[in-house]
Amino acid sequence: MTGIELSEITASFGGERVLGPLSFAVTPGEQVALVGKSGAGKSTLMRLIYQQSNGGATLIPQDLGLVHALPVFHNVYMAQLNRHPTWYNVCTLVRPFQRERREIMPLLEQLGINEKQWAPVASLSGGQRQRVAIARALYRNSGMLLADEPVSALDGPMAHTVMALLQESYQTSIVALHDIELALRYSHRIIGIQDGRIALDEPSARLSEADILPLY
Amino acid sequence: MMNHLIKNTVLALAGIVISTTPVLAETFVFTAIPDEDETKLVERFQGVADYLSEELNVDVRYIPVKSYAAAVSAFRNNQVQLAWFGGLSGVQARRLVPGSEAIAQGEEDAAFRTYFIAHKSTGLEPMDELNPDVKGETFTFGSKGSTSGRLMPEFYIRETFGAAPDEVFSRVGYSGNHTRTLRLVEAGTYGVGALNFQVWEKELEDGSINADDVQVIWKTPTYPDYQWTIRGDVDEKFGDGFKAKVREALLSLDDKALLESFPRTSFIPASNDDYEPIRKVAEQIGILD
Amino acid sequence: MFSYPTVRASFLFLAIACVGLVFADIAITTVNPWRDLGRFFLGVVTPDFFSTEGLATAILRTVAFAFTGVTLGSVAGFLLALVYRWRVVRMFSAFIRAIHELFWALIFLQFFGFHPLTGVLAIAIPYAGIFAKVYSEILDEADQEPLRLLPPGTGVISAFLYARVPDVWDRIRTYTSYRLECGMRSSAILGFVGLPTIGFYLEASFSQGLYSEAGALLILFYVLIATIPWWVKPKLLPVYIIGAPFFLGEGLPIVWGNVTRFFTQDIVPAPIRNDESWAELGLWFSDLMFNEALPGLWNTVVLTQIALVFTGLLALLAFPLISSHFGGPVRRVSGHVFLVVVRSTPEYILAYILLQLWGPSMLPAVVALALHNGGIIGHLIGRQTSMIRLRSDASVGLNRYTFELIPRVYRSFLAFLFYRWEIIMRETAILGILGVATLGFYIDSAIQNIRFDRAMVLILITALLNIGIDALSRFIRGRLALKTMPTC
Repeated sequence: MTGIELSEITASFGGERVLGPLSFAVTPGEQVALVGKSGAGKSTLMRLIYQQSNGGATLIPQDLGLVHALPVFHNVYMAQLNRHPTWYNVCTLVRPFQRERREIMPLLEQLGINEKQWAPVASLSGGQRQRVAIARALYRNSGMLLADEPVSALDGPMAHTVMALLQESYQTSIVALHDIELALRYSHRIIGIQDGRIALDEPSARLSEADILPLY
Repeated sequence: MMNHLIKNTVLALAGIVISTTPVLAETFVFTAIPDEDETKLVERFQGVADYLSEELNVDVRYIPVKSYAAAVSAFRNNQVQLAWFGGLSGVQARRLVPGSEAIAQGEEDAAFRTYFIAHKSTGLEPMDELNPDVKGETFTFGSKGSTSGRLMPEFYIRETFGAAPDEVFSRVGYSGNHTRTLRLVEAGTYGVGALNFQVWEKELEDGSINADDVQVIWKTPTYPDYQWTIRGDVDEKFGDGFKAKVREALLSLDDKALLESFPRTSFIPASNDDYEPIRKVAEQIGILD
Repeated sequence: MFSYPTVRASFLFLAIACVGLVFADIAITTVNPWRDLGRFFLGVVTPDFFSTEGLATAILRTVAFAFTGVTLGSVAGFLLALVYRWRVVRMFSAFIRAIHELFWALIFLQFFGFHPLTGVLAIAIPYAGIFAKVYSEILDEADQEPLRLLPPGTGVISAFLYARVPDVWDRIRTYTSYRLECGMRSSAILGFVGLPTIGFYLEASFSQGLYSEAGALLILFYVLIATIPWWVKPKLLPVYIIGAPFFLGEGLPIVWGNVTRFFTQDIVPAPIRNDESWAELGLWFSDLMFNEALPGLWNTVVLTQIALVFTGLLALLAFPLISSHFGGPVRRVSGHVFLVVVRSTPEYILAYILLQLWGPSMLPAVVALALHNGGIIGHLIGRQTSMIRLRSDASVGLNRYTFELIPRVYRSFLAFLFYRWEIIMRETAILGILGVATLGFYIDSAIQNIRFDRAMVLILITALLNIGIDALSRFIRGRLALKTMPTC
């Protein structure tokens, strides 16, 4: 299992620094929630961490990065393209094999989108698309998860189901969350970002909503 | 989606390969320069194809082409083995295909002429010598590769005026073929034109010339023109003596209607040497290297 | 108003065209041009569908050549698009698309002869160059995010097929089927050099003044193009693509020795072929340049510039015909019919018809180019204005045209016009085959005299001129910040 260590990273946009310099490390087995108001630099930070992982981490970006013309099944399957030879992938594009169908179906069932398995993503609602991206992340199952607002479009119960699933499959994770309650409940540690800097970094157990609210 | 694309591509490519494999039927193919209206050509040469097929006991096919050069290229590329060429196209073809031979010409072709014709609006009258009255008129040749429609008239224009046609006339065009030259001058699109005298005579005879609008103003001296030219390697492909058989068949053609369609009274023997004057003129004008 | 760069550019081009008109050879030389035009229209309204037995075959062959050529071109173009970032591929593509289908056909005719491959390649090669460019632009616009999210170690092909292609598949398909319509036009005009498509019969009927027969052919051609949405369905496409190669006709067998001969002898400049001195080669080349290439270039450029401006004027005049802001349904329907007819008729056929009727000069060429291209742009701009919603108290009539619509669409109008500049140039060169003294005239003459060495040099010059105009057009569009979609 892998962790991540960032030291003095910065990001600029149009000549203006939007992030950092900041440093922190995430050890294997640590589940971190990233909080802060929108525009604070969470998404930028996510990208930088993903870049540093060289693709070794699983990323759920805010815009999901789905291929809209492909069906749900194939969008999920894409998370394991590297495990099969090219011919196998080409055949799957045309007609999926039983093995992957059996693997992917349960994931979709858990997320309540199994009926949409063969529907192109373009035809789905925002919440359904978000669940496709989550299914893809679950299917990828790499050592570390990076998720940027993964449940923003889901209603209460489904948001909890998803967070629980993610927590269960990824021992190490950094999840940017808008919802303070979810952040406190599904993480070991909370990092608060304000104006591109770390404004808070504490174990979740020691924090309450009141401690986090000033960040917003 | 993708599988369709790939499948289709493979099959389409296979289809092309299949359809491009040459058919190895021993068909004797000939062509002719498109010097007149296509309908007439197809009618005339389909008759020739039927006749030759009967005489030679092989399948004979006539291929119509859209330009003089296309006829020469098809002959050169061995896609046709025999062709009814004009003087110039024949010279070009025989230069490009060593061993090919002029085997027959029309009786009239030994002493062929070009007629210069003029629309009435030019006010030009028949003349004994090509004279400067024609200067400044608009002028059309036939095809760029024609002997009677381009080579010889250009030769006489240059000889008479010591200048290129586009310096003598206000506008020079290439109508494409003799019938078109006739129609264009008749309609007044061009003031003056030059065409194959046989085409003129035949159209006149058929009553399809409006003599009020157009008349012949000058006739060139005679020169050799049309001929049947055959490739040197036909004997290898169709058996010994095949060339002689073709020549014999052409010379003995006596179907009045068919001859009339050319129009020729009969076919007589010809040789490559008969066309030396044409070659010299073509070189002089710079059409042949 | 002159403070707008777009307006300044327009007037600059207008001025160039006016200067061009001074040098251009514009005249109606026919004594009675309207009588023939009348006969022609009479022929179109009294079409004779039963005169040639070849009519059905001609349609079939036209479709078959279009499908086979466009399919091959799109496959090759797609492969080229994958490596389009390589400079050499971009240059190669620019070069092959700079040479018009008819010139390609004339080249292939010299060694393949009347074999179906001649027609197929004549369409496939330039189309491959165009497809390469457009496909690569479309692929570049694909959403890059899914590609970034793929697990490391994913194969290139898998990544491409999953993360790149599906996103742009629709646009590729739309563009390809649009191009198929262009392919029909290309296929039709190939008949003019002897391939067995509609153009072959059209040329024969026209040159013999059989206008009813020509009318029938033209009407069938319009119907064929206008009904494409009904008979070209995605589901039927495989059937057409697989079937097409079998309906190209037999033609004549290829003699492969001719191919070698063409490349090793025919196109080698005569002085080199005949082992003459370098001085002879110099003479040969300067003769070619001064007597053919330069006059041809000059006429091509002059004609292009004039045709470009007339195209623009015609488009501006024509778009109200179909715009929902003017006239009633009757006017709009007839406007649509008019624009469909002018834009479906290839310039080459229009020019051919007008040359028959008005006699040889640049005039028929200018009118043909302006009608066809103006029809295309007018159609696109008209459609665009129909989507504009005007406030309910907007002015009407001429004021609506000048104050409400023109300012709104002028930029896209210019974008289309500059995009078509290069296309107009390509067509201008081709019209030379019909007798206008552009580069095509000299190319055709060289071929008629069996001087392929000269023809190849002239074709090369034509291609370079085209590449130059394309670059210039792109530069101007860049400077004026004009964006457009590809048309043909």
